[in-house]
Amino acid sequence: MSEKASTKSGSYEKPLPEFRPETKPYWDACKKHEFSLPRCKKCGKVFFYPRALCPVCMSQDLELIKASGKAKVWTFAIHHMGPTPAYKGEPPYVVAIVETQEGPKMMTNIVGCKPEDVRIGMAVEVVFDDVTPEVTLPKFKPVGK
Amino acid sequence: MASSIPSTQDAREILKKHKIAIAGIGETEQGKIPNKSSFQFLSEASKIAIEDAGIKKDDVDGLVTAFSLVEQTFMHCTTFADYFGLRPKYFSSVAIGGATAVWMVAEAAMAIAAGQAEVVLCVRGDNTLSGISSSGMLALIREMCHAEFEFPYGLTTPGGYALAAQRYLHEYNAKQEHLAAVAVTMRKHASLKPNAMNKEPLTIDEVINSRMIAAPLRKYDCSIISDGGAAFIITTEEKAKALGIKKPLVYLWGMGEGYSHQYFTSLADLNQIYNAIGSSGERAFKTAGVGPKDVDVAFLYDCFTITVLLELEGLGFVPKGEAGPFALEGRLEIGKDLPLNTHGGLLSQAHLGAMHHVVEATAQLRGEAGPRQVKGAEVALVHGNGGIVSAHSTIVLGKEPIS
Repeated sequence: MSEKASTKSGSYEKPLPEFRPETKPYWDACKKHEFSLPRCKKCGKVFFYPRALCPVCMSQDLELIKASGKAKVWTFAIHHMGPTPAYKGEPPYVVAIVETQEGPKMMTNIVGCKPEDVRIGMAVEVVFDDVTPEVTLPKFKPVGK
Repeated sequence: MASSIPSTQDAREILKKHKIAIAGIGETEQGKIPNKSSFQFLSEASKIAIEDAGIKKDDVDGLVTAFSLVEQTFMHCTTFADYFGLRPKYFSSVAIGGATAVWMVAEAAMAIAAGQAEVVLCVRGDNTLSGISSSGMLALIREMCHAEFEFPYGLTTPGGYALAAQRYLHEYNAKQEHLAAVAVTMRKHASLKPNAMNKEPLTIDEVINSRMIAAPLRKYDCSIISDGGAAFIITTEEKAKALGIKKPLVYLWGMGEGYSHQYFTSLADLNQIYNAIGSSGERAFKTAGVGPKDVDVAFLYDCFTITVLLELEGLGFVPKGEAGPFALEGRLEIGKDLPLNTHGGLLSQAHLGAMHHVVEATAQLRGEAGPRQVKGAEVALVHGNGGIVSAHSTIVLGKEPIS
């Protein structure tokens, strides 16, 4: 992986994703505040993360489907230390694996509630965090908050 | 995906035919040693292992190294061969994180069985604690998670293991005390190991009240970072006799790998982890012709306390969800049911992947472990784990040749 994954962009100094050709459509949708997931048109598998071919049947006939943005917390870790100096003052924050209504799991942050209130099985929904003009990270908050 | 385990009969025949064994071990001082480079540790550990076997450097014709977090190079094995003044016929660098050391034994055995070398030096060393730069540390953290889909959410390495721990506690109603018991046992064993970095007694209360790193994991649930080197020499019984090696040989009885995922995002459930650990162990056990009940002393990768609980259950030593109480009852201590990591492990002795696990397993089966000696130890198991409980490797070792 190149060093660009932690490139500074304006005042945002936390790690940023570096888009690959096959992942850019996903990030473009995030920028428009649309939550989408890749789906194989041949075998029907909805999967995450975006790839150049289906991890089940190897088909390259893929599409991005509009996803519900609804998910449940599968597990989480309350971070009391961040991975880089840019996280100074930020902890505690919650890194979680959520199980989307469509099936695939993904890593995200749980926001909009206290870290100690996060529970496994908690219903959450997507919110978009425009961290830089180029990058929008989908995060999740408790439903109804 | 293939779910059946390939026949282990061929592996068993090869190990019976060649009687592949560990014939030399070496470990340097461990801890914070700021005045030595990565390649100095590699060299010193190699020298100690060669002298332990009682052979000459020129008797070594195969070299297996790993990688350095401090002095990163694409050709680690040949870079070290140059530094150490070795011209191996066979050379390879194994890079599967914490699964590396265990697989070095297997790779050396396969190279020998395939006629590529007769005496293979396996070595790893690094000045990780004193020498790593902040960019090196960042690269290490990022290696554990997906740079594009995970790292932007601020995942750390302890955080990755905390994701596994949180789910484990939830599914089995386990408590922090169960995790803590592993750390306490490792410290107790480290107190008997001369070169261990942390030897002061540790209590359950101290562990569960230590600083939170990534909940539910606290400071003492996390392994240490250290400087140091370790090495071992693999050969055949026949070659060992020809070289006049006097040290008792420790024989390779079986080996196996198991893969679950690379990124935590790709993990379906905890069973996927258990299955990877289990298939690694099952192949090693089947080849060896023994099972968990036959193991006298176990060496399990203990980068975090949760890792040990998952491995104990995945390898079939205890049923799922029961490793915590097993640890809390002290049954992993020397003299009890299943003595674990008698050298203190990654949690208290030193962190060099599973290198010291292999070295200590050899010392135990030689009967050279001093105050840590498990009485009558004849069969040992060593398990390595790379990534975030992602990639697994297991070997079974015996005091006598495989029969």
